[in-house]
Amino acid sequence: MTDAISISQAQLRFGETAALDGVSLAIPNGSCFGIVGESGSGKTTLMRAVLGLQKLDRGEIRILGKPLLHGRAALKERAGFIQPIFQDPAASLSPRSRIRTLMDEVGTVLREPLAATHERLHVILNRLGLPPGVVDKYPHEISGGQARRVAIARALLMKPSILIADEPTAGLDVSVQGDLLNLLQDIRRSQHITLVIISHNLAIVRLIAENAAVMRAGKVVEAGEVGSLFGSPQDAYTRELLAAWPSVSAAK
Amino acid sequence: MAISLRDLSVDYTLPQGTAHALRGVSLDIRKGQMLGLVGESGSGKSTVAFALMGLLANNARVTSGTATIEGRSFDLTKRNATADLRGRGMAMIFQDPMLSLNPVFTIGTQLCEVLRRRAPGSDRKTRVAMAQDALAKVKLSNPQRRMNQYPHELSGGMRQRVVIAMALLSEPALLIADEPTTALDVTVEAQIMREIIGLRDRIGCAVLLITHSLGLVTEYCDAISVLYAGEKLESGTVKEVQRQPGHPYTRMLFDCEVPIDCERHADASENRFTVIAGELPDPRQRPPGCIFNGRCDVSFEDCAVIDPGDYPIGNHAGHSARCLRLQTP
Repeated sequence: MTDAISISQAQLRFGETAALDGVSLAIPNGSCFGIVGESGSGKTTLMRAVLGLQKLDRGEIRILGKPLLHGRAALKERAGFIQPIFQDPAASLSPRSRIRTLMDEVGTVLREPLAATHERLHVILNRLGLPPGVVDKYPHEISGGQARRVAIARALLMKPSILIADEPTAGLDVSVQGDLLNLLQDIRRSQHITLVIISHNLAIVRLIAENAAVMRAGKVVEAGEVGSLFGSPQDAYTRELLAAWPSVSAAK
Repeated sequence: MAISLRDLSVDYTLPQGTAHALRGVSLDIRKGQMLGLVGESGSGKSTVAFALMGLLANNARVTSGTATIEGRSFDLTKRNATADLRGRGMAMIFQDPMLSLNPVFTIGTQLCEVLRRRAPGSDRKTRVAMAQDALAKVKLSNPQRRMNQYPHELSGGMRQRVVIAMALLSEPALLIADEPTTALDVTVEAQIMREIIGLRDRIGCAVLLITHSLGLVTEYCDAISVLYAGEKLESGTVKEVQRQPGHPYTRMLFDCEVPIDCERHADASENRFTVIAGELPDPRQRPPGCIFNGRCDVSFEDCAVIDPGDYPIGNHAGHSARCLRLQTP
């Protein structure tokens, strides 16, 4: 079976700093893969490289077996099977256009009749618990949680086989966060998509992902099956991360 | 009692009407204690801090509330009631340290400014020495060099350390930390929390930690107060509240936390997360009865009609919750 995403020896420097320093990862098809690490560890840069938004200095990225190409045509083609949910959903929605305009654009890209797009959109919005009226609103008129779900709806409307979510729960309350994660779990099961979750929330990654990688300063320090990665971490940094995690310890 | 806050109510005037952000909130923090004030966004936890510091926005109005800080009473309904205490009796650590430091002044200048207010009459040399000493106390590397640096030259964790050093210099009776670690990484978060604890132990002040993370509260706080839609639903020692949550909302909040060592399904796609269904009530129009009624999983008829009082739980002094189920007939 080909991997959904395979990265080998990715190198990228921003001036003095090495954003990616020899990153190699294989993300199996149909699984959920977690990438954890602190800010500045290169998680988001890696995501941008996988999406083709950031050229690597060296190394190779293959999506579903095919090497990642740059250029407009390749970017457009790739949009059909790999979709991002960015960290700040409000920033990925244009403040000047209604949600509907954004969604209609998907139909244009897919060369699909608008009616068909709207029909699918209706199903997705329903599934995400968004009122149908949300499409007539501007991004500033909806709440942060709703904006995040709109960003997910847009990503799903493209019928991707790979979904990359950058910090999907950042800034959400615990009561809402569970809702969103359950939703991602449902989508995964019903549509058999590959889900990549970038997060600094170790507890969530541990529950949602099959495999995970721990990044630090542009390097993958440890990767593997989640159970053993979190159960018996080999790397000192992974242990440090786990030890620092504030947990609701049982009442003594 | 070092700090007590009684019956704080705050309204915000909005184009859509008047939002009641806080309704009769009371808090007590003992000297040398850390109280965790938890609640979701929109629960009014930051409004508590701003009302105490006198930093409320122009459209806010304190309709009732008194604060007692070190034996002195302050009527919070008056504008700038606690202005006298800012920088002397009260200090605050904000979520974003970049916003609480002035970008055009060096760290040293900003630290010395605190001392000019705290210790008027001291000469410049003493102030610089004290500021450097404070930076060393919060374990900022190379304090001498930091004094001449600007906030943008430091990382988020280092900036937060500078803000803690500032608080240390002002030797407050009450330190308010409003989501001090939300913008930081977990490993840095642990360090910053240790610094705040260190500061508390060094000057023996009371700390009000405002956070949405129950993990932080159970790990570092002595007492906890739970805020929901502008009302305090439960308060007590962390131990008691965790062992026996009196209010269903508190129990549900604890259930929503994902522990790092919780049971894990072999098939990862089978793992589910706990959710509190429903939405916050409209802050402009409080529904009758219990404020949490619409989302509660154990509510009964009376909950929609009777506004519950604050009932004590067990024999433990100070542990109480506002739930009709605790009412003893």
